[in-house]
Amino acid sequence: MVNPHPDLTTSVIHGLGWAYLALFLMNLVWTIRVYRGHTEFRSPELFGGMMIPSATPWAVYSIILFLLSLVHLITNAAPDTFMLVMPEFAKNFIDGFADPTIFFALSVGLMAAVIYFRETLVKPTVAWTILNMMLLFTTFSLTDYDFRQIVGKPDNVPIVSMLYIVAFFTWLYFSRAVENDKRKAEGRPLFEQEKNEKILVWPDLVYTELICMIALTVILVVWGVVLQAPLEEPASAAKTPNPSKAPWYFLGLQEMLVYYDPWLAGVVFPSVILGGLMAIPYIDFNKLGNGYYTFKDRAFSVSVFMFGFLPLWVAMIILGTFLRGPNWNFFGIYEFWDVHKLEVLNNVNLSEYFWIKFLNRGLPTAADIPNFISANVPALVTPVVILLREWLGILLTLLYLGVAPMVMVYIPKFKEFFFRMGFVRYMVFTNLLLMMLALPLKMVLRWSISLKYIVAIPEWFFNI
Amino acid sequence: MAKKLTTAEILAQARKQAAGESAGAESPPPATESADAGTQPEAASAAPAAAPKKPAAGGAKPTSTADILAAARAQKAAGAAAPAGDKPAAKATPKSTADILAAARGKAAAAVPAKGEGKGAKPAATGAAVASGEPLPSVEEMMKAVRGGSGGPAAEPAVKPKPTLPPLPKKPVVAAKKAPEAVSRRGVVMSLIGTPFAAAWTFLTATTATATLAMARFMFPNVLVEPPTRFKVGPPGDYPLGTVSNKWKSSRGIWIVHTDQYDGGNLIYALASVCTHLGCTPNWLDGEQKFKCPCHGSGFYITGINFEGPAPRPLERVGLRVAPDGMLEVDKSVKFQEEMGQWADPTSYVEIA
Repeated sequence: MVNPHPDLTTSVIHGLGWAYLALFLMNLVWTIRVYRGHTEFRSPELFGGMMIPSATPWAVYSIILFLLSLVHLITNAAPDTFMLVMPEFAKNFIDGFADPTIFFALSVGLMAAVIYFRETLVKPTVAWTILNMMLLFTTFSLTDYDFRQIVGKPDNVPIVSMLYIVAFFTWLYFSRAVENDKRKAEGRPLFEQEKNEKILVWPDLVYTELICMIALTVILVVWGVVLQAPLEEPASAAKTPNPSKAPWYFLGLQEMLVYYDPWLAGVVFPSVILGGLMAIPYIDFNKLGNGYYTFKDRAFSVSVFMFGFLPLWVAMIILGTFLRGPNWNFFGIYEFWDVHKLEVLNNVNLSEYFWIKFLNRGLPTAADIPNFISANVPALVTPVVILLREWLGILLTLLYLGVAPMVMVYIPKFKEFFFRMGFVRYMVFTNLLLMMLALPLKMVLRWSISLKYIVAIPEWFFNI
Repeated sequence: MAKKLTTAEILAQARKQAAGESAGAESPPPATESADAGTQPEAASAAPAAAPKKPAAGGAKPTSTADILAAARAQKAAGAAAPAGDKPAAKATPKSTADILAAARGKAAAAVPAKGEGKGAKPAATGAAVASGEPLPSVEEMMKAVRGGSGGPAAEPAVKPKPTLPPLPKKPVVAAKKAPEAVSRRGVVMSLIGTPFAAAWTFLTATTATATLAMARFMFPNVLVEPPTRFKVGPPGDYPLGTVSNKWKSSRGIWIVHTDQYDGGNLIYALASVCTHLGCTPNWLDGEQKFKCPCHGSGFYITGINFEGPAPRPLERVGLRVAPDGMLEVDKSVKFQEEMGQWADPTSYVEIA
């Protein structure tokens, strides 16, 4: 019987062969570059502790890639007996991370690690090693059928390339910033001053733009010819595609919609994001970092921006693209998209936690409010019931946005902000910051205690 | 009232005083005075030109800047001309630019002879040089330029008689005459399209009004291609207990549910297949016994109550009744929301005995 979802086919094996060949060529160039550098390092005592040219390990690695490529290209073994596949235990291990909380924690941890180890990471050798690891991981993962289905979907190809582009630009920023921070510490002129990159518009800039234009056009044409547009069946009001995904750049917002009420996640928060970005110049009082790359001069601003951009936007796009499957359930990257995957979720509102679980009674109803209200002002009955039912959530929300900024003043950094900014600016700034943190907070609450809404007023379509 | 002094004269006078002060007993050279008057034809001519206005302006309240200046000049002339060359005048508290300048010059002049010997005549020579207009001190040149530039025109308004307004055209009278007449048809048309401005607004208003009317008409189509909101879905026996029927989902957007899980009653009801989160169409998953929305993962029990995902409220019921012919009849024009307590409404379900 033929497996309808084979992990490997002959064409996949050949494709992988070409991918390894490309990797080999990349590393060959790199090896030559390192060799020309004439650097050496002392090998571990295990290997005799002698001086070895730095190019040697790269040469060995390149040869291995070349052999891998050869094996893939000239094999005539049946695809299902081919040995070079991702082992099951590794797949299961990685799939184990397909949990929103773990994923989010990992992405924040990764960002923090990048900031902390920036001086190591920007070294060309380290960066090149990471790039190789990323490429090898993707290539090797392609031996899995389900991974290929997700990554190879024409919709998702730009997202895969975006991952590499984001990584590259993050690296570019940090390499320049680390360089400048070092120069500043040593009292040398900044990179931008010393190696002035000013060029003539004509011909230098115009030529560069021309070349970019042609290259981009070529990429778009090739892309349009090679990858077919993912057309689907005619739209039907009665049938929603499963999973139904937003355009890739909005997947972060779609993920937010899982945790927040539609008007909040779809209207208020996007407006706050836009308004907040516009407000940055008015909030920021740090005059440093103008016109040059730096991290140390703007450590806080850069970290906050990176938090908003990498874990809260890019990582959410990755999550929405690769980890959300049918019925908006979570799936590992090697996991089959089973429409009937059962995920037991039972979301509970905070008011239900308070009244039912904690006080062990029913939610307040009209019978619970004083008689004189219902007798005199019947119009007030519903508002009072709602207020009584949701008072804890409303109070918590007010505390979060109104009082938490005042408590944060006790953090030395925020104390400085408070005195530099003044009350109004400080409140705007901290509220924007807290709203940014509201998404991960709600995610954690949802996935740890199944909290649905902190304030739930379905009668008025108002939920937080 | 003596003739009005020019700035140059004032300066010369001041200088004279200064020279007298610095040179001590030396008398001010008279040549300076005469040369001053002789070599300043423009100043001399300017002064008579400005003079006639003085009587007019002098008696009455000063009305213009020129008048005020003239009055100041007159005072100055009266104060300085009489004790010309006298120290007390120069020593008085400086009242004008000329005074201040004179005082400054005096000090400077006093300083110069103190330094060098045999230079007693220098201030006088300087005064002569000033008078003959050769290497003039820059301040004087500037003052002259200022006078030449602004003195003339500034003086003019005062000379001019107060302009009497020309008699106004008797427009209001004309309008009043016309008013009693009936507004002609031609007048209305002209007021609407008579000028390009009026025409533009008129046509814009007309176009917008037409478009609004057309839009309003669009809301009442001649033919409605929607299926009717009331339709029959077969006898209750078609829907066994504990099932959700997808039969009408794609054509009518409803599920027919027969369950005894809502409040223990054996009910048949119709749920609208619209997720209460953002309006996607959920799917009934028989294995999990739940409605599950593919967009954001909202889940609903067979009763329609939301229990997972972001949906804030239960699915909505639509009207259902047993028609006189024994068939179930759905009425999609009415909605019943659980959170509003509307599911208790007997028209929202059919109870099976």
